[in-house]
Amino acid sequence: MAKRLLSMIINSQAVGPLEVADDLMMIDFLHEYLNLTGSRLGCGQGVCHACVAILDKPDGTSEEVRTCITGAHFFDGKRIRTIEGHAKRDAQGEVSQLNPIQQKFVDQFAFQCSYCTPGYVNAATVLVEKLQRQPVKRSELEGEIEDALGKHICRCTGYVRYYNAARDVVESLGLVKEG
Amino acid sequence: MKNILIAAALLLPLAAQAADKQLLERGKYLARAADCVACHSVEGGAEYAGGLPLESPFGTIYGTNITPDKQYGIGEYSADDFYRAVAEGERRDGSKLYPAMPYTSYHLLKREDSDAIYAYLMRLEPIAKPSPQTSLSFPFNVRFGLGFWNMLYKNRVQLLPAEGKSETWQRGQYLVEALGHCGECHTPRNALGALQQDQRLQGGVLLGYEAPSLLAEDLAERGWSTDDLATFLKHGISAQGSMFNEMYPVLHHSTQYLPLDDHQAMATYLLGDQPPAPRKVSAVAFEQLDDSAQQGRQHYLNLCAGCHGVAGEGVPHVAVAMDGNTTLRLNEARNLLRVIDDGIKEQQFTGFERMQPMPGFSDKLDDGQMRDLLHYLRQTWGGQNAELSPQQVSQLRSEKGH
Amino acid sequence: MSTPELSRRAFLQGSVIAGIGISFAPLGSKAFAALFEERVTAMPQPWYNASGKAVARIDGVSKACGAKVFARDIRAKDMPGWPQQQGHALLLKVTRTEQLYQGFDLSVLPAELQPQRVVTASDLVKDGISFPDGHNLDPLLPEGQVPMFIGHPVALLIWHDFERYRQAKNILKFNDKVIRYGEQAPAFQSDPYGSFRFVRVGGSTPFEPDTFSSLKDSMLFPLIHNRKPAWGEGKVSGDLTQQGLYHAEQMLQQLQTPPDDWLVFDERFTTQSIEPAALEADNGNGWFDVASGTLHFVVATQCPFEVAEQTAHMLAPSRFGVKKLSMHPGYTVGYGSKDNNIHVFYAALAALYGSGVPVRLANDRYEQFQSGIKRHPFDMHYQLAVNKQDHSFQIFRAHMDVDGGGRANYSSSVAAVGATAAQSIYYLPRSDLAATAYYSRGVEAGSMRGYGTLQTMAATEMMVDEVAERLNLDAIALRKKNVFQSGMKNTQGAIPAGALRLDEILDKAAQHEIWKNRVERKQRFDAEDPDNLYGVGFAICQKDFGTGSEAPMASLEFSADGRVSLRQIAIDMGTGMATSQALLVADYLGQPADEIKTGETEWSELALTTSGNPYMISQAEQDAALRNPRWVGKLASPSSATNSSYYTGHSTREAARILFIHGLWPAALAIWGRGEHGGLANPYVVRRENAHWVEGKLTADGMPPIPFKLLAHKAHELGLVTGISVHGFNRWSWAEGEFEINGQRERVPLDALAVKYGDGAAAGQKAQMSRNGFHLLDRVSIKYPVTQLNNAMVTYYSPVATLVEVKVNKGNGEARVINHHSWLECGRVIVEELVLGQLEGGIAMGIGHALLEEMPLYEGGPGDGTWNFNRYQLPRAKDCAVWSQSAEILPPLSPSDPAKGIAEVVMIPVVGAIVNAVAHATGKRLRDLPLTPARIKEALHG
Repeated sequence: MAKRLLSMIINSQAVGPLEVADDLMMIDFLHEYLNLTGSRLGCGQGVCHACVAILDKPDGTSEEVRTCITGAHFFDGKRIRTIEGHAKRDAQGEVSQLNPIQQKFVDQFAFQCSYCTPGYVNAATVLVEKLQRQPVKRSELEGEIEDALGKHICRCTGYVRYYNAARDVVESLGLVKEG
Repeated sequence: MKNILIAAALLLPLAAQAADKQLLERGKYLARAADCVACHSVEGGAEYAGGLPLESPFGTIYGTNITPDKQYGIGEYSADDFYRAVAEGERRDGSKLYPAMPYTSYHLLKREDSDAIYAYLMRLEPIAKPSPQTSLSFPFNVRFGLGFWNMLYKNRVQLLPAEGKSETWQRGQYLVEALGHCGECHTPRNALGALQQDQRLQGGVLLGYEAPSLLAEDLAERGWSTDDLATFLKHGISAQGSMFNEMYPVLHHSTQYLPLDDHQAMATYLLGDQPPAPRKVSAVAFEQLDDSAQQGRQHYLNLCAGCHGVAGEGVPHVAVAMDGNTTLRLNEARNLLRVIDDGIKEQQFTGFERMQPMPGFSDKLDDGQMRDLLHYLRQTWGGQNAELSPQQVSQLRSEKGH
Repeated sequence: MSTPELSRRAFLQGSVIAGIGISFAPLGSKAFAALFEERVTAMPQPWYNASGKAVARIDGVSKACGAKVFARDIRAKDMPGWPQQQGHALLLKVTRTEQLYQGFDLSVLPAELQPQRVVTASDLVKDGISFPDGHNLDPLLPEGQVPMFIGHPVALLIWHDFERYRQAKNILKFNDKVIRYGEQAPAFQSDPYGSFRFVRVGGSTPFEPDTFSSLKDSMLFPLIHNRKPAWGEGKVSGDLTQQGLYHAEQMLQQLQTPPDDWLVFDERFTTQSIEPAALEADNGNGWFDVASGTLHFVVATQCPFEVAEQTAHMLAPSRFGVKKLSMHPGYTVGYGSKDNNIHVFYAALAALYGSGVPVRLANDRYEQFQSGIKRHPFDMHYQLAVNKQDHSFQIFRAHMDVDGGGRANYSSSVAAVGATAAQSIYYLPRSDLAATAYYSRGVEAGSMRGYGTLQTMAATEMMVDEVAERLNLDAIALRKKNVFQSGMKNTQGAIPAGALRLDEILDKAAQHEIWKNRVERKQRFDAEDPDNLYGVGFAICQKDFGTGSEAPMASLEFSADGRVSLRQIAIDMGTGMATSQALLVADYLGQPADEIKTGETEWSELALTTSGNPYMISQAEQDAALRNPRWVGKLASPSSATNSSYYTGHSTREAARILFIHGLWPAALAIWGRGEHGGLANPYVVRRENAHWVEGKLTADGMPPIPFKLLAHKAHELGLVTGISVHGFNRWSWAEGEFEINGQRERVPLDALAVKYGDGAAAGQKAQMSRNGFHLLDRVSIKYPVTQLNNAMVTYYSPVATLVEVKVNKGNGEARVINHHSWLECGRVIVEELVLGQLEGGIAMGIGHALLEEMPLYEGGPGDGTWNFNRYQLPRAKDCAVWSQSAEILPPLSPSDPAKGIAEVVMIPVVGAIVNAVAHATGKRLRDLPLTPARIKEALHG
């Protein structure tokens, strides 16, 4: 076990360099070192996807990454977004505006206990950004949503409102083309 | 005529009915051991109703409907027709089957076993489902050319002599060579797709993945004992790792349903009545690894250790251990690289055993990082110290699996 | 800037239990935020619109932002006044039960990773700690004993920092070298946790008095012999038990030698062990401040009041000198699994032994599988006699065994509730229902959504469907023939509450296109898709809500500037009760509450006391106890048993109603009556029953509408009642108390009441507000539900029905739900999206129960600490027909329908419907859940 220096950009803010054990999982780094507890531990084994953060890649694309099975040092020098970074906040740190997905989830009562909600927000945010680069055909919209959200486990909602809200956001942002 | 037949049927004595039941049981068992369903069903489709595309270097060959449907299946076949198809590769209408149908191994099937399988298949519910047409590129679409091909290569699977071998060994031989047709994948093929029988069971490459050598000394070199191999065949998981890629359907459709002593028999055949001692490989300390492997460790910690453990110990029932894993011990790095790049889909093993998908890391590791990681894994736990050149790594990566 | 010291003091007053003062500041509450000396975060957007409809959950923004709403999110540095350092703990557990436990060996850990503190059974003895009743059987297994169950904890290990905890845990996890096992020993044994029998012989009609029933006569309890129930002989003129047994024997005889025109169905149904799998695993985080003797405790629980009370009792006699307990319940999720859960006490222990360092005990998913509360497997023998001529049900005999696992928990109750629910929606002229909850070495089973009724009612629906097939009848027509109607008696002899609208639902289902055309649809789909078999299935259930001993509490007040705040004892575990309760206030105040605090247990103004067990107290004891004006049958309900809409809502609405009658209405009359000769009100007849709120303004009989804020101001000016705390008690009907409120006698369905007067009240009145700012009123008289009603077992019902389409794959035997439609009747809907959300989620859970979820009970099961979501298959979106599903909520009979609870019933019919659909698809009746591909394949192919 060795410690190594770790730096990254989280929610547009520079983090580190911090000395962190080389085998520390990212979720433990977020929770225990940075007190960013919104990326939640559901299974700790990469199945439920409650823990995902968004990795923003140099080529402009993004993907969700499971922080419970990915080492913190994988993110060294990289840019990520967690749930804590999506809403706009005022000078006092109060929420002034949610991102369109968060807003739609709130408007449509998409979650119940909300333990898995950060994962869904991140997955849907990645989807929306992907479709912003390349809109989806109407006939393929539901399949896209299934691909983006299908691995996320929710035990409360039965998924209906998450899926419908995702579809509504995509439509309301004009990301659906004919076909 | 019909009346006589009906009367005869009604007079069928009980003993005959019991024998009939026994025949069907045996046919069902043999069909499992021969794994007919793997190629004659498609995922999500009814069993034996065909539809599976088999990728070959010559094009796509489709497994046919072998339910007793008269229009789309083998409803019109007699037991003789069936034997000829299975053992000699010839359809009822006289045309040749492509050797994707492993008649090159099935020719070793006993006639009475073929009859039992036939009897079982003919009692299934006929499924009225047409199979897609096989169409290969010229000249492979010319079936009669297979006649010549067959004459050149067909009956070349020969059984090793069985004198002095135990009854278990002999039963294992039949299960491996004939029914299990293991040699079809685990033997190298030449450019025309024919098995190189003089290198029987010495390993082959199928769609990017290696079906490793099953020779006794090679198995022992990779840490296999008879019991472990039997366990592996029965459950798909043992201390040496788990079945994945093309081997998983073998468990899923075939070996998990066989009785336990069949797995012992198969393992005894492959490892021999006097098996060589399995070679142990102890984990090598970090300090003793070369530079590339030491670099590779951080990639292991970043991407693999979350499931496979910092010390390569794995997580029971979730992720196999690296320590003792057979894939790390293969001479070729092919399978290890492929599985890291491609991942593995969700797999149901026996009983409650079930593994979540392994992610593929093709977009998370560049060639240099992959090379370092392969070195780390193979040197630490595989006993494989040979260096891989960057060209080897990029060549292997470009041969995408399916 | 006020000092932290001063504001904390304000919150440390409160109830005292066992000599320990308890205070509550739930996470997310104003009280909690005040501890931080920060402003309360207001919702940046309104959560309800002008017509009083909720447009979002009141907690929606925090949750959508991943804010720290769960106890699990909290670390020491988040808590004001705590040390910054966060310690972590884990429980070491045995995984084998057939050998003696001989201690453990931590030498696998290097010196630097050894725990800072180890707590074992001998420490608990030495330090004078015994776990609360019901959890106190060897919470830590002493050396030299045989374990009670797989996963029995033996030690609590505490580290003072995360890194060492993490590295040590990585070594200890899955390591079978740590526990030392000794010689083989006889297995642990225990008598059954409970055994009950409910016998009923109805009168000549369902409305005539019963010949024999639990409510009229008695429930039957057996003797226990050789760890099994032993029933004596029946005697028609013996004691009540013997009479009951006599009738039961008669029924059995008739079932065994039935008349020719009877069909007797006789089959066995089994269900599996289920993991609730709440995504927030059990957790607690606590700091024991030795200097002040205060235990600060952040905890995830559905029953914060009980946890506080029991923790205080647990710690008071100890040598630690605990003087105060400061509880911080978080938002949580549990489906029952966080109710009556021993984990919280281990967490309190971890804090206590932290040597001044805050310690967090939080299960990972493996640990949650290992020790988290499970759903009980049921093994049911069902016999139903049906008249072949008129298709009426004659006798229903259901005897069932329930596996309670290694600790009793609620097993006894689950067995009883399961048995008394088995009748589902049918009237049964005669019934004999028996259930026994057994001990086993499996993981502890307890409260889990459905609470036994899921297991039994799903089986009943499978049974009725199969009976219909055997009689060649339409399955819905057979149900209609035997449907329970309003006013009939249930299998305990009790008359359910209100209108039962089951036949309405059956009529709708019978007319549904998918049901009507199922034969033709099957022919068509089977031909089009030769790989699959298509099937349609239906099931309907009604389930009770409440436990027969409900004690809701609410506190509602408005300020002079019209700000309404509601305090509630209940916890929001995702149900959205915080939203619906706040909204209910509008019934009487014209606007929802501006703020609501949940999980509150600061109720010193009511000065409640209790004694005895409300389920077992005798009538004489209850009568005597009620002479004390502070005595109530139960102090507080946990958030469980689907109790928020109806019971919690009762306390909220009754509080609001009294505020209206004694605060707002007199204020309105004062405003309307201003001026000479009674002002503009005088010429009209103005009655309180004609009062209406229109867009937040009050009017009646043509009076000019007055906005709420004006009324609030006036009420304060006049010193009227402007705040109230209430407590109610329900044992299948409400306790009723008479109180003198501001000079007026009122009879209300409440048993405790305290009021606040407005700012303009006279000095004398204000002086009476001496308890926590309230004037505590004494009951002038009190009428309590009779104790005999405990035998009713259930009277409040909500019905749900589900119609399901499935496809069964011929190749792998997998059954998939491709579509479903449900009907639900819940009286008044408070927030429709919350009701539908419960239905959608409940159906998903039901699909998992019917098709996917399963674990071995004992060896190889979750008790060995290796289970996770790879092996335990939870339903995903693709399993739930997400896009195509539909549902219909029946409109209420009138606006005055009560809001009935539905959060459990919604998951039950889908289970029976799926099994019935698979039967329709394959022609095979499967009776063991779940219907895995392997089981279906075996049924198809043999």
